[in-house]
Amino acid sequence: MTQTSQQQVVLEARGMSKQFGDHRVLEDINLAVKGSEVVCLIGPSGSGKSTLLRCLAFLEAYDDGDVFVEGELLGYDRGANGRRLRSRPARLREVRRDMGMVFQQFNLWPHMSVIDNVMEALVRVRGMKRDEARRLALEVLDKVGLPEKADVWPSRLSGGQQQRVAIARSLAMSPAIMLFDEPTSALDPELVGEVLQVMKQLAEEGMTMVIVTHEMGFAAQAADRVIFLDQGHILEQGVPKQLFRAPRTERLAQFLQNYLQRNEIFRDDGKEGYR
Amino acid sequence: MDFSVLTDHLPEIAHGFLITLLSWFGGIMLGAILGLLIAIIQLGAGRWVRAGLRVYIEIVRATPFLVQLFLLYYGGPALGLRLSPMAAGLIGLGIYGSVYFAEIFRTGFLSVPRGQIEAAHMLGMSPRTVIRRIQLPQMMVLILPALTNFTIVLGKETPILSIITVPELTFVLTGIGSETFAYVETLLALCVGYYLMAEFCSRLGQRLESRMGRYLGQQSSGISSERNTAGART
Amino acid sequence: MFDLAILQQGLPLLIAGLWNTVWLSALGLILGFMLGVIVCSLRLSGRLALRRLGGAYVSIFRGIPLLIQLLFIYYLLPRIGIEAPAWVAATAGLALCCGAYFAEILRGGFITLPEGQIEASRLLGLNEWQILVRIRMPQALRSTLPALLNEVILLIKASSLISVVGIAELTRSAQNLAASTFMQLQFYMAAAALYCVVNMTLAVLAGRMEKRFEEARA
Ligand SMILES: Nc1ncnc2c1ncn2[C@@H]1O[C@H](COP(=O)(O)OP(=O)(O)OP(=O)(O)O)[C@@H](O)[C@H]1O
Ligand SMILES: [Mg+2]
Repeated sequence: MTQTSQQQVVLEARGMSKQFGDHRVLEDINLAVKGSEVVCLIGPSGSGKSTLLRCLAFLEAYDDGDVFVEGELLGYDRGANGRRLRSRPARLREVRRDMGMVFQQFNLWPHMSVIDNVMEALVRVRGMKRDEARRLALEVLDKVGLPEKADVWPSRLSGGQQQRVAIARSLAMSPAIMLFDEPTSALDPELVGEVLQVMKQLAEEGMTMVIVTHEMGFAAQAADRVIFLDQGHILEQGVPKQLFRAPRTERLAQFLQNYLQRNEIFRDDGKEGYR
Repeated sequence: MDFSVLTDHLPEIAHGFLITLLSWFGGIMLGAILGLLIAIIQLGAGRWVRAGLRVYIEIVRATPFLVQLFLLYYGGPALGLRLSPMAAGLIGLGIYGSVYFAEIFRTGFLSVPRGQIEAAHMLGMSPRTVIRRIQLPQMMVLILPALTNFTIVLGKETPILSIITVPELTFVLTGIGSETFAYVETLLALCVGYYLMAEFCSRLGQRLESRMGRYLGQQSSGISSERNTAGART
Repeated sequence: MFDLAILQQGLPLLIAGLWNTVWLSALGLILGFMLGVIVCSLRLSGRLALRRLGGAYVSIFRGIPLLIQLLFIYYLLPRIGIEAPAWVAATAGLALCCGAYFAEILRGGFITLPEGQIEASRLLGLNEWQILVRIRMPQALRSTLPALLNEVILLIKASSLISVVGIAELTRSAQNLAASTFMQLQFYMAAAALYCVVNMTLAVLAGRMEKRFEEARA
């Protein structure tokens, strides 16, 4: 794993915005993620969390502002006359080579076994020899707790296991920063824990992570910083304790209130009510 | 009826059959390669290139194969394109096939979930690697029925090559027919011959399908072949 | 090389050819559709023998190239003592072949109708004939209309093959003009353009109908 110093900014957005047609989804986003920092993005549905993450990875082209990955401009090149042009695919790949991403829907390749999923990019992108790639792949599969599933088809695995394979696949490329878009939202509740466990372990080992999540408990425990996004704006950010205990804005207070209500089992009035 | 005309002319007929197989196979190869190229370009190209390809596809779909052949074979020389009947036939089949293959491949490409491709991009794979390693292997299972179906359709177009004097099976047998006046025998032989070719091809396709389905371990429904090759045949 | 005057002189002949293409196709379409309905009802009949018969028809007429079918009819009819004009033989050939395709399209429309609807109609006291004509036919027709329209485009393209037996439809007219004026490229392009006009119009219609049908179902 690439070790980045604590102070160094790995990923930075400056005045970034994005719109789909007339709909302005992100507005003047400023965000800097330092090495080993764990940032959790929270916010109501439709607030633009996924879009923000996808713009940070240039899976979605942002419109204005800049995004830098380890100091390099992502997705655009400065033309001769100062105008910016879309980067060629090869340049884009080069800038985001240290970036990994984990998706809500896992997105494993169903026609390859688990180990082939992990090895594929090592062989095709890094140009590794197959046996070397296999060794490394087994190592990361071990790390996510699935060494015995190496030769199984992805469709045979539970959702939690699939997501851990997806994390391993990304991890194998030794990224400097990993982006997670609601990695546990497609999982059955009892499978959420195993994935969060792997992510916590990564955080402890010093991985830089940006995580979109609805798991407030996880955010409270694992995040160095929590960012609350509302209608395309960063409305509030800070250490989890401060943000969750003492929200400064009405919107965040409301959002947390809703979250607590949705997740309570016993109501305050003492009547049992499972919701 | 006297089928000895067939046995008497066996070497010629065998040669005609060979030419039929050659042009069929060549047409499929050419059409599939062109079609794949068109589909790939359609995925990534800008608006104008896509519009141009759309026009090409629509024109080829709207005109009869016979007219396309005439254009190539008789119209070509006016543009300095002098082709032998066989070359014109092959290129004609290739162009004609390319648009239907392109539609089949395009549907196939679109069937692979977007997220899987994004995952591949995030791991640093080039578009070419993504097509070769992620998209093609997955979509093949799905488009196989459509490919088989269109292969049969293209096979049934090959008799039309006889009209521009390609010495394939139909040309040879109708020739023998008018020489010996054994029309019924030769035409019956043609019917049986083409019917068996189509039948053989569809059996082969079915076998391949069940093989590939098993290999993947997951049964896919397959892209409806009717839709993709609607508008094929002549 | 490009003599506009000759092209202009030839145009009426081409248009006449187009007219022949259209009405021969229309005739083939009507006959083929009726044949398709009959074959389809064979395919859906309760009797095994009839189902087999319908299946054999479809398999044969879809399995053998149209050109061979046309040649067969053209050469065979006189042999068995039927002296029909060439255009009759040609149209019959078109109809026989496209009947097989129509039958399959219609069958597709019928077998996707929910069984519950038919049971409900029976409970309401409609007899089998009424169910067929009032309930099943309209729905099957409507859902298969885009496919049927597509088949019409195929039929028009297929009609180019009857040029082989010497009928002056569009392709044959272009051939004649091309041979007599030596302006091969121009006349074949003109013919191709005329086919495009007719078929693209039909394709747009089919596309619209499909869209409307999908909207209605959604
Ligand atoms: N490709 C797109 N085209 C048009 N609009 C889009 C597109 N993607 C997202 N949007 C819109 O942008 C807004 C933000 O969407 P986004 O998916 O980023 O929200 P989110 O915060 O991730 O929500 P959720 O919690 O439901 O995942 C929404 O209003 C959405 O409808
Ligand atoms: Mg989202």
